[in-house]
Amino acid sequence: MFKKIAALVLCVSMSTFLFVGCGKGNDVSTGTENQPDTSQETEVTEAPESETPDFAGQELSILVSAGWMDNRYDATIARFEEEYGVTVDLQTIPADQYSDILKSKLSTDTLTDIFWIQSDPFAIGSQIVDPEKYCLDFTGAEWASVMPTARLASCSFNGKLFGLQLWHNSPEYVMLYNKSLFDENGWTIPATYAEFKDLCAKIAEKGVTPWFVPGADGWQHQLSFFQIGGVYEEATPGLYDGLNNNTATFADNAKMLEVLEQFKELANLGYFGEDWIGTDSTNMANDFGDRNIAMAMANSSYIKQIQEETGTADEFGLFLIPLGDNTYFPTNPGGPTMFGSASSEHPDLVKAFFSFVTTTESMQEILDNSPQYTNMDVIDANVQQHWLPEEEAFMSTIPAEKMEIGVLQTATKYTNNYWMNFGADMVSFCLGEIEANDVLKNMDANRAEAAKAAGDSAWGN
Amino acid sequence: MNKKRIYPQWFLVIPLIAYVIFFLIPSLLGAFYSFTDWSAYSANTGVKFVGLQNYIDIFTSNKDYVSGITNTLMFTVISNIIKLIPALFLAILLQEGVKGKGLYRTLFYLPSILPFVIIGLVFKSILNYNTGLLNMALETLQLGFLKQKWLSDLDFVWKSIFGVDAWRGIGYVMTIFLAGLNTIPHSYYEAAQIDGAGFWSRLRHITLPMLSGAIMINFVFGITYGLKVFDIIYVLTNGGPGHATEVITTYSYQLYSNGQYGMSTALNTVLLLITLVIGVFVVRIMGKKEVQQ
Repeated sequence: MFKKIAALVLCVSMSTFLFVGCGKGNDVSTGTENQPDTSQETEVTEAPESETPDFAGQELSILVSAGWMDNRYDATIARFEEEYGVTVDLQTIPADQYSDILKSKLSTDTLTDIFWIQSDPFAIGSQIVDPEKYCLDFTGAEWASVMPTARLASCSFNGKLFGLQLWHNSPEYVMLYNKSLFDENGWTIPATYAEFKDLCAKIAEKGVTPWFVPGADGWQHQLSFFQIGGVYEEATPGLYDGLNNNTATFADNAKMLEVLEQFKELANLGYFGEDWIGTDSTNMANDFGDRNIAMAMANSSYIKQIQEETGTADEFGLFLIPLGDNTYFPTNPGGPTMFGSASSEHPDLVKAFFSFVTTTESMQEILDNSPQYTNMDVIDANVQQHWLPEEEAFMSTIPAEKMEIGVLQTATKYTNNYWMNFGADMVSFCLGEIEANDVLKNMDANRAEAAKAAGDSAWGN
Repeated sequence: MNKKRIYPQWFLVIPLIAYVIFFLIPSLLGAFYSFTDWSAYSANTGVKFVGLQNYIDIFTSNKDYVSGITNTLMFTVISNIIKLIPALFLAILLQEGVKGKGLYRTLFYLPSILPFVIIGLVFKSILNYNTGLLNMALETLQLGFLKQKWLSDLDFVWKSIFGVDAWRGIGYVMTIFLAGLNTIPHSYYEAAQIDGAGFWSRLRHITLPMLSGAIMINFVFGITYGLKVFDIIYVLTNGGPGHATEVITTYSYQLYSNGQYGMSTALNTVLLLITLVIGVFVVRIMGKKEVQQ
């Protein structure tokens, strides 16, 4: 009898603990339902300078993808901790896992005080989905004035400011080439695709890989298609608007088909290297330093990286991606952006952090501690930029009007969401498994699915 | 009440509750959500019932999910064959007095305790076309003509995956066979030898029938492993090159990452149905064999 009673008590108590756990989960979700009120309560009201809020002992948690904060924020965070007597818990997640982890935290309401997303003018709606529920509203914050208008668009939703984007404005993913190698061989920078193909043939004759394309990374090779958005808009005026209003498609776009065919032609000619699909970018700097490769798509700051990592005395330069006879250098208003969580237990500390990192001293400190970046795209004349001469030379060759348009992936709705899928489709196309137009049709189908899920009326939803 | 029982039946209550709450209900919910348009946007638009639309999309979409399903079934069949047969012969070899068999057993078993991530990193490096150990070794041995793009050539990528999977899994399968072989009385083999039975006769008439339990266990484990394969594909090719090595789970993972939870659960439900059908089939065969024995 005693055994029976003991077993019953044990059984009941364990079941109780089980349901207590469930009960706690319910409490959390109940709290979430009240979040809109919280966000309203925490609208930014700048504290007077003389007031030093007492945050001592509090912990500020930050969820960020690797590569977005790294060491460049260390000194600034250390000063913040010292000034306010708080600790910062920096949770850096590997880049390939970040999106999934962020989404699961958003859906389970377990966000950190501050979190980051790769934002663009359409990203807040598609990634955070309901910013008024999940994000602190910073509308009216003083620090908003440090962001250029194009970047503000990536931080705002429905007229409210939610994010802060402190990012660089270096030439992104243009053709980086070994200038010394070119000069020694009498090679000149190509202006058209035909010239580029001829150049590749000459380079290949010398036993050097003409254009290093790290297909195994999965996210790099499609940049050659998307970074030249201006050529598509020029060939089909109003294309960007059409793609955003669902009155135009990727499929059957003659210029896009031409660019894809050119990419495949170069791949088939072996100009990307013997196994570009199976090669990643791990050794790219060394390959440049050893003169195994002549060109690659990269950021201008990569020049510094090659020279520092390999000690090469070679000089490097930049030119426009020549696919589709491109003459445009579209800008990318997107970039890693930080947001305050509406469910944060210390919203004032979050606000203090945003204010702290946007002081001239902090922004200069972050830029100076970013060896990969030469500038910070902020409106603050007191921040000393470190532009490279190669960057300035490159930018001076491009007319201002050729830089006004945005890159295709972030200037059109739902496109960036399917970045990896498009890259895989491009590989399938190069392997002969699908046709060029199938790559474009897949993008249309993917975008339609995203639009349907978002209830986008332009897609008849 | 049966007094011989050591524990009362209601000790089952807690594991049963845990099973229902943490397995059965989530599985049923998953199947339920596969009939909805549940997505990352549902916070705004709500979850709507869409009937069989997700399933229709799976079999008619331009994304070729069907090839993911056929690849999964193909992987299940081939990975089982290339693991079960070599593992059986290895187990017999190591059972029959090879010198240092303890060391061999350990060496063969070791890969199966390595995490897939480590295996993926190591083999991606070994199989790299330009800098990989395998191609470099072939060149050193004057066998450069055998060099291949192991993970990026459509003709070799599946072979590479099967090779790595066999390297990892054979030791585990072999260990189960060894446990089965240990239960076969040695006197059977001695009697057969006296009667003049050779290796193949002993294998056919003694080893295989007596090992049917271990074979069935390996078979069931192999099928369930094959149908839900994800890790080895994800770490080696991530479904590539292009979409050549996509399986159900990699497609499901992509859909989930894109926030299309309804479609993702529909694909998982298809996998569940396939597993159920094959599972029922295997269990029936097992039941018949046991009755015959």
